[in-house]
Amino acid sequence: MAARGHVQDPNDRRLRPIYDYLDNGNNKMAIQQADKLLKKHKDLHCAKVLKAIGLQRTGKQDEAFSLAQEVATLEPTDDNSLQALTILYREMHRPELVTKLYEAAVKKVPLSEEYHSHLFMAYARVGEYKKMQQAGMALYKTVPKNPYYFWSVMSLVMQAISAQDEKLAQTMFLPLAERMVEKMVKEEKIEAEAEVQLYFMILERLGKYVEALDMVRGPLGEKLTSELQSRENKCMMMYQRLQLWPECNALSYKLLLKNPDEWQFYLSYFDSLFHLMDKSWSPPNEEEHCVEGPVHTTVAEAVKFVVDRMEEEDKKDSRPLRGPYMACLELIHRLRQRGCPDEEELGDPLELMLQFFGKFGDKPCCITDLKIYLHLLPPEQHTQFENRLGELVPLGEVGEDGFGFPGDTKALQRHLCVCQLSRVLGLQHTLDTEGKLCLITELKAHYHYGLQFGKSCLKTELQFSDTYCLMVAHVYIDLWTETGDENMLWQCLGVLEEGLSYSPSNAQFKLLLLLLFCRLGAFQPVVDLYSSLDAKHVQHDTIGYLLTRYAGSLGQFAAASQSYNFSLRFFHSNQKDTSEYIIQAYKYGAFEKIPEFIAFRTRLNQSLHFAQVRTERMLLDLYTEADITSSLEESVKAMGLCPEEDDIPWDNMRDNRDLTVLFSWDPKDRELTEEHRRLSLEEESVWLKVRSLTLRLLASLALLGHAPSKRNSDKTNENGVSAKSSTLQTLLSQLDLTLQTAAQITEKQTQYPFLGPPSSRLASALSSGSCHCQASALQLSLTLQELETTGLGKMSDVDFCTTGLQPSVHLQKQQDWGGECKGDVLEMKDSRLMTQPSLLETLVFFVETVCVVLWVASYSASVLRPLKSSLQKKKKKKTKDSSTPVVLSGFQEWTGSLQGIVTQALDHVKGQEASLTALKLAALTLGVGHAQTQECGFTRAAMDKVQTSYLGSLQELGDLLRKRADSLKSLKF
Amino acid sequence: MTTLRAFTFNFDICYNNYGIPFYLQYLAHWPEYFIVAEAPGGELMGYIMGKAEGSVAREEWHGHVTALSVAPEFRRLGLAAKLMEMLEEISERKGGFFVDLFVRVSNQVAVNMYKQLGYSVYRTVIEYYSASNGEPDEDAYDMRKALSRDTERKSIIPIPHPVRPEDIE
Repeated sequence: MAARGHVQDPNDRRLRPIYDYLDNGNNKMAIQQADKLLKKHKDLHCAKVLKAIGLQRTGKQDEAFSLAQEVATLEPTDDNSLQALTILYREMHRPELVTKLYEAAVKKVPLSEEYHSHLFMAYARVGEYKKMQQAGMALYKTVPKNPYYFWSVMSLVMQAISAQDEKLAQTMFLPLAERMVEKMVKEEKIEAEAEVQLYFMILERLGKYVEALDMVRGPLGEKLTSELQSRENKCMMMYQRLQLWPECNALSYKLLLKNPDEWQFYLSYFDSLFHLMDKSWSPPNEEEHCVEGPVHTTVAEAVKFVVDRMEEEDKKDSRPLRGPYMACLELIHRLRQRGCPDEEELGDPLELMLQFFGKFGDKPCCITDLKIYLHLLPPEQHTQFENRLGELVPLGEVGEDGFGFPGDTKALQRHLCVCQLSRVLGLQHTLDTEGKLCLITELKAHYHYGLQFGKSCLKTELQFSDTYCLMVAHVYIDLWTETGDENMLWQCLGVLEEGLSYSPSNAQFKLLLLLLFCRLGAFQPVVDLYSSLDAKHVQHDTIGYLLTRYAGSLGQFAAASQSYNFSLRFFHSNQKDTSEYIIQAYKYGAFEKIPEFIAFRTRLNQSLHFAQVRTERMLLDLYTEADITSSLEESVKAMGLCPEEDDIPWDNMRDNRDLTVLFSWDPKDRELTEEHRRLSLEEESVWLKVRSLTLRLLASLALLGHAPSKRNSDKTNENGVSAKSSTLQTLLSQLDLTLQTAAQITEKQTQYPFLGPPSSRLASALSSGSCHCQASALQLSLTLQELETTGLGKMSDVDFCTTGLQPSVHLQKQQDWGGECKGDVLEMKDSRLMTQPSLLETLVFFVETVCVVLWVASYSASVLRPLKSSLQKKKKKKTKDSSTPVVLSGFQEWTGSLQGIVTQALDHVKGQEASLTALKLAALTLGVGHAQTQECGFTRAAMDKVQTSYLGSLQELGDLLRKRADSLKSLKF
Repeated sequence: MTTLRAFTFNFDICYNNYGIPFYLQYLAHWPEYFIVAEAPGGELMGYIMGKAEGSVAREEWHGHVTALSVAPEFRRLGLAAKLMEMLEEISERKGGFFVDLFVRVSNQVAVNMYKQLGYSVYRTVIEYYSASNGEPDEDAYDMRKALSRDTERKSIIPIPHPVRPEDIE
């Protein structure tokens, strides 16, 4: 704002100080200065707007808005006011008002290029594509510059992309866009590369591939120069679409000769080759196969081509490229798929892979490369392969401990690659417990030995031997899941903590620790771990789930709130960020990027995780604050919650979670499958639905409480009330349906790979009885509400007691876990540490349910209070019928039993706390004999973290329960 | 072996270090200067991001390397060199006089790599990198490589005295 052009204008001079104050964040002074100026110059509109900006920035939104509207209704045409209003509206998140502003300005100053252009951009900011199209055209007519014309064309393309009806896109928007470009082509007015790009985009979307191809190959295509290989890439794309396999093959061949490392062209080369073979295609004449040159049509030619490429690499003095060797394996894979016997001509896959390992085994990517083709080896060759690989690893002499170690980092990397391959082949999984423990000893020895190579590593660098450490952890996890021996888990935590101490930037260590702590129900250490991952923007969406899945479920409410904030902050900034750059893309003619930017924004807005954190955040706030710091009704209002509104895109939900973020070297049959992904999304969506319905029901309940309780009031009120109860009813039946679906899903008992997605809270929520208990409590509020409108008098006729008691019966049932399990969340047995994190999770569900039931009880009290007071009046008058109605005694009985349950629960929590505090972990003997004390130290530290975290959870849960117990007292009449 | 492709703005950016607006800004303005490398298994290997800027009249029109990043498991394969070569080629086509980049003085590995690729130190920029994580401010080398348009290689004649960040364009 500070950069302002002409200082000559006296108004500019007068406004200058206000701009300066605003720029320096001195809003108060800006407002004062504006007031001063307005006293002298009443018509200096811009001063008003600047004052409004000052007001807006000091939190006086309403005042700011009405001041701005004063100016806006005058339809200003001076630059200062317009720009200031634009800034203000943007800060108010009201970009639609900017369009109104410039619509008026353009009407008054129809020849202004600047205002027309501002209007176009204002439409772009709110995505009004049709109006953009018109504004672009109006701009072009005012100032016939090419970019303006093409802005209009692009806006047509955007109308096509956003059209609900694909037919409309194909028959109206795109053809119109095409004609507009054709007109310019005919008039030879095409100037810029961006215009050609846009033309290509239109033809492609119209499916006019032949035309697109002709265009790219023709004179217009010569403008495509910025991007490397732009014409070739576009031609290739069209060949594939048009299934012009000869051209596709010949072009791939040509490009591979030029760059034998370009993987995508091997793929298109093989694809086209087999298509041609299937069609028994033969060249029309021997001289020229096709426009792109010679075409390969036989396996023999392909084999020769690949072998030649490898020989070229072998001959080179410089570093060989991986491409040709990988292409050889790819060709074998494809030939085998087709049942083609010629693969032998390329050699034995085992030997080829050994050769590959010989050349590239010292590169960390060797494992990622070979992993793709391991299926070419029959299982009976696996051990042989491992042994032969081992022969290619130079290790030092075998020492006392029976191991030989690598002499340098290259040898280390080779050895590591063999270990990884052996795991991928499943050879580690088939070992028995004894064998796995031996493997752990060996990997640990290598890990510790390898640390010497990284002594000079910076804190931000990884240790060369980190992967050994991670593999040790994986074998420990195998042992834990197979034998249930929790000791393995503690060891695992210890080794990871140790690894982190040497390599504090290793994200994989942190992720695995995070996962394990969460599974253990210890959320306290998790927040720090996640912070130290330094997750950036999109990662909050892709990996945030690791944290937020457990945030609400373990009784660490403050930490949970912090975790949701990590993600929410990112999501909220995204919307603002993108629209500015969409505008930039128009300005610079990066048309191809515009749909990408928009698709990206949509993908984030429709994110499953976003919807989850949004919902969980509000539920958490209600559970921890509503009716404690402020009433339920106030809380609901502050959140802007509206029970009728459902802002979750159920039908377009995007699962952006990166479910393979944790490294895994598990064999194929243990890997995460598409089915796992589908089931996990299904489960999470249903759980989200339960939560979102619960939230909306609570909002509904809060607003019921607000309804005037007088009967026979005026009609509008009655309508309002019945609308509210019908919302409640609708939501309740939706919840009922959702819980039925939920039950079906949990019956499947889906198990995901350990390093894959965590199971949702659905199963434990159902088995704890909490969902049904909450539903019946909310049902009670509906019954009461209906009775209230029909008349409290009739209420005593209804068997309110049993309805009312139902929730507490459930509560009691739910609370029985304390008695049934008789266990503690953390216990020491035979000097072994045992955890029962599910106890914690159930306790959290219990507390959540207590909250819901108490809100219902509080609503019930508000309904019954008038009855009670009318009764007291009657008593005073000493009328005959003075016995307490059944409904009131029922309610009192109910709140009494609730009180009992909460007190009992509090005792239970206290008991757990006491036994947890009494637990002296130092008394544990870790490891046997000469066990490395350092390693034990890390394990012990991990145990301490878990113990502290459990204690923290119990304290927070206890605190919340106590506060809830206090609110119960106020329910007595 | 690598698949080199234009950066399509999607969740690729998960692996990177800058904020979303930073990437959007480059993509909206210089999409051709944003190239990613993908492994056969689909893993993101690395990327380069740059721009073209400077005055043609003063013979300062040039390509600039804003970011070059290769994932740890794909290092020592020559990928960075390949990506640099592509950026230089794009700058050649745009008629740039040179390509330049900034690198931390302490990042000896990178400085040596750029030297091997034909870059030389043009000048030192004092305290170009602002302090973070308790580390002090750090100087940068402004390294340059002349393109064919600069036939006399005037653009890379080193400036002996260090400059301040506010003095560079």
